[in-house]
Amino acid sequence: MGVTILVPYPLEKKTGPEVIEDLAKRLLAMQATPAGQFLVDGDIFDNPTMNKTKIHVMHNSEYPASVFSILDNGQKQIPLITDLIFDLLMLKVSPTYQSKKSLKIESKGPRYELGDFLIKLGSVTMSQNQNFKGILIEVDYRPCLVPALCWDLMREFMQGFLGQHAPTTVPAYFTTNIPMNPVQHFQRYNDTYQPIDTVQQYLEHFNNFRKQTQAPMMMTPRN
Amino acid sequence: MENQINTALNAIKNLRSSVSNIFETTISSDISQLIEIQDSIAAVSANFKDVEGSINNLTIPAVPSLGNTAFLNYETDLEKQNMYSELVNGYKWYEKTHQYSSMASTMLQHNSLKRSYYSTSNKRRRLLTGAHTVPPKLVDQIISTFNLNNMQLKIYRPFATNAFLHINLSRVLKAAIILRGLMIEWITVKGFNESLDNVDDHWTESRYAVFRKVQKAAHSAMLHFYSPTFAELAIRSFITWFGSYSTLFSEPCKKCGKHLLNGLPPTFRDVRSLDPIHEECRN
Amino acid sequence: MSSENQPTAAMDSLLQALQVNIIPNQEYLLQGSILDTQVQRLLHRLKGLCDNVETAPEQFFDYEVCFSLRAPMNEQTLQMQQAPPPLLLRVRRSNDPADSHMPFQLRYIGNPELGDAKRPTLVRASFDISCSPSIIDFLTEMGCRMEFEYTVKGYLFRKGRMKITVSKIFKAMNMNQEPLSQSYLVELSVLAPSGSDAVAEDMRVFAEKLKPLVILEKIDYKRLATVPYD
Repeated sequence: MGVTILVPYPLEKKTGPEVIEDLAKRLLAMQATPAGQFLVDGDIFDNPTMNKTKIHVMHNSEYPASVFSILDNGQKQIPLITDLIFDLLMLKVSPTYQSKKSLKIESKGPRYELGDFLIKLGSVTMSQNQNFKGILIEVDYRPCLVPALCWDLMREFMQGFLGQHAPTTVPAYFTTNIPMNPVQHFQRYNDTYQPIDTVQQYLEHFNNFRKQTQAPMMMTPRN
Repeated sequence: MENQINTALNAIKNLRSSVSNIFETTISSDISQLIEIQDSIAAVSANFKDVEGSINNLTIPAVPSLGNTAFLNYETDLEKQNMYSELVNGYKWYEKTHQYSSMASTMLQHNSLKRSYYSTSNKRRRLLTGAHTVPPKLVDQIISTFNLNNMQLKIYRPFATNAFLHINLSRVLKAAIILRGLMIEWITVKGFNESLDNVDDHWTESRYAVFRKVQKAAHSAMLHFYSPTFAELAIRSFITWFGSYSTLFSEPCKKCGKHLLNGLPPTFRDVRSLDPIHEECRN
Repeated sequence: MSSENQPTAAMDSLLQALQVNIIPNQEYLLQGSILDTQVQRLLHRLKGLCDNVETAPEQFFDYEVCFSLRAPMNEQTLQMQQAPPPLLLRVRRSNDPADSHMPFQLRYIGNPELGDAKRPTLVRASFDISCSPSIIDFLTEMGCRMEFEYTVKGYLFRKGRMKITVSKIFKAMNMNQEPLSQSYLVELSVLAPSGSDAVAEDMRVFAEKLKPLVILEKIDYKRLATVPYD
C-alpha cells in the first residue's frame, strides 16, 4: 500500500479497448511487467424515507478481505472498513436500504508493475448491461505513505507515462480542507495515506460517471 | 476409557445432588419428614456405592512419576492451586534453557573461531578494549546525545548486551542498526509500513526495491565511516548521513535534476555533501 | 466461475462461500447464571475442563451498545397494524487500553429458529463482522436508534470449537461500575456454518459436566419479554 493517484483518461475518438491497448503497449515499452487483473466495484444503497442518505458499498481486489463503505448524508461522509460478511448484513437491511442495481459501477482491467510503481488500467462499466463509461488509470507508488513527500516524483512518472494527459496539479481530493471538528481542519496531502483514500477517490470518479448520461466521446481529464 | 470416566463423573454428580437433597429437607425439619429423610439417606448410600463401583472400574493411566508435585493434588485451597501452572511453566523454562545450552555448547565445540572471549583457565585475562567492547551504559549514553530532526531513535536489546538501534525517519522509512559495542555490524532498511518488530525481520529484505537500494548504500557508507579508534565519531557521522534520507522521495537528483531513473528515486547520498544522487549518475 | 486470473466480484465469491457452508452464520447457544459467591468454584472447574489449561483464563472487559433499525412503514405493514420487528445490531469494543488497535465488532443476531424443541441448544442466525471505530457514527447516521448499552467484564475459556464465557454485566459509563445483579452470566456458544448440528450435541455433553454448579439451558426470550419489569 502506498500513495495512489487516480486519473481519468480521455478516449479521443478511440474505443475503450483500443486506448487500453495503447497504454499497455506504452507500459511494456517502459519495461513494466504484467501482474494480473484488478477489480474495483461500487454499489449504492438508499433509503426511500431518508432521501439524502446513501450508503456506498465498495470492494477493491487489492484488499480482498475488506468491504469499504461510505455513508453520505449530503453534508458529510463517514467511511467504514469491515470484513466481507458486511455484505451479508446489507442484504438483511433490505427493507430499509435497497441496492440500486442500475447504478452499480465497476472498474476493471490489467495491472502492471514497474519498479515500486503499480499501474492499473481500468475500464469503467455501469449497471448489469455493462455500459462502457470511460477509463480510469490508477498509479500507486507503494513505498511512500505521505502524498506531500512523493507528489513531485509521481507527477514526473505520470508525465512520462501519460504525457499531456497527466495531471499537473495535486488532485483536489488531497487539498480540500476537511473539518475534523469546528475549529480544526486538515488536508489529506500531509496525512498518512490509507486504503480508504483509494476507495474514496474511486467513489468521486464513479459519481462523476454516474452523473454523465451519454456515452463519453471527448472527455477531458478533471484536474 | 472415556465412557468409564463419564459414568464415574455422573455418579459423583448424582451423589452430590442427593446429598444436597438431604440438606434441603432437613432445613425445614419436621417429624413427618423423617421418612423422607430416611429415603434420601438411603439414596445417598446407594449413590455412594455407585461411585465406589465406578471408581473401581477405572484403570489408573500410566502417568510418569511426578515426584513431590503429586502432593499438589491434595491441596484444596483455591488460591494455592495456581502453584501447579506456575510449576509447569517453571519446568518448561528450565527444559528450554537446558536444550539451548546443550545446543550452544556443541556448536561452540565445533567452531574453532572463538568470537566470544571465554576462557576456562583461572588466569587473569588482559582487559580488551576496542570499539566492540564498550559497556552498554556508555552506548546508551552516546546514542542519547544524537539529536536529529525527523528522527526517532529507540534502543532495544533482544540479545543481552548488544544493542539494536531502531530509527524511524520522519514517515519515510524504518531502519535497524545492529551494534556490537559501538561498532555497526548490520543495517536493515524497511518501508514505514513494513514490520521490524520481530527479531527475524532484521534479516529479511524490504518488499520495495527502493529500500533494498538504500540498504546497500547504507552498508557501503557504514564501511566508509568505519574507524576502529574513533568509534563514537564513526557512528555519529553515519547517523547524520543517514538522516539525509528524510528527503528520499521529495528531493530530485543533484546531477540529472530528475526524480526518477529506472523507476527509482535517487537512492544514494553523497558522504560529504549529503546530496541526493541516482546510483547510475554517480560516475 | 471466472477465468483463473480474473478477480471475481466480492459479492459473488461471498455468495458462493455461503452456498458451500463455510461462512459461520449460525450461533448455537446455552445460557445460565451463577451467584457471585460461587463463581470461583465454576472458574476452577472450567479451568480443569477447558483447553487453555496452562495460561490462566483469558480476561475481557468490553463495552457493548445495541442499535435497532426499523423498517419504514409501507402499505402492507400498515394494514397489519403492527410494525415489523426491528433489526438489532450490536457493537462491541474492548475497554482495555492494550486492545486499542483491535477492530470493533459488529454483530447481527437473528431470532431463535422455531421448531427446535428437540435440539439441545438454541440456534439463531448470527454474523460477526470486524469493523473500524467509525461504526457507531455510521449506524447513527444510517438511522439506527440506540437501545441500550452496558459493559461486561469476565473470563473466556475454550474447549475445542466451544466458547465459554463467565461474565458480569455492569451499567455502562459508570465510574463506580454498578453491577446489574449479584450473579455472573455463563454462556456456552459456538459460531458455526449452517448445518453443523453435531456441535450442539457436544455442547449438551459439556453443559452436563457443569451441573449442578450451573444449569445451562435454552433461554426463551419471548417468555422473558412477557415478564413485567420496572
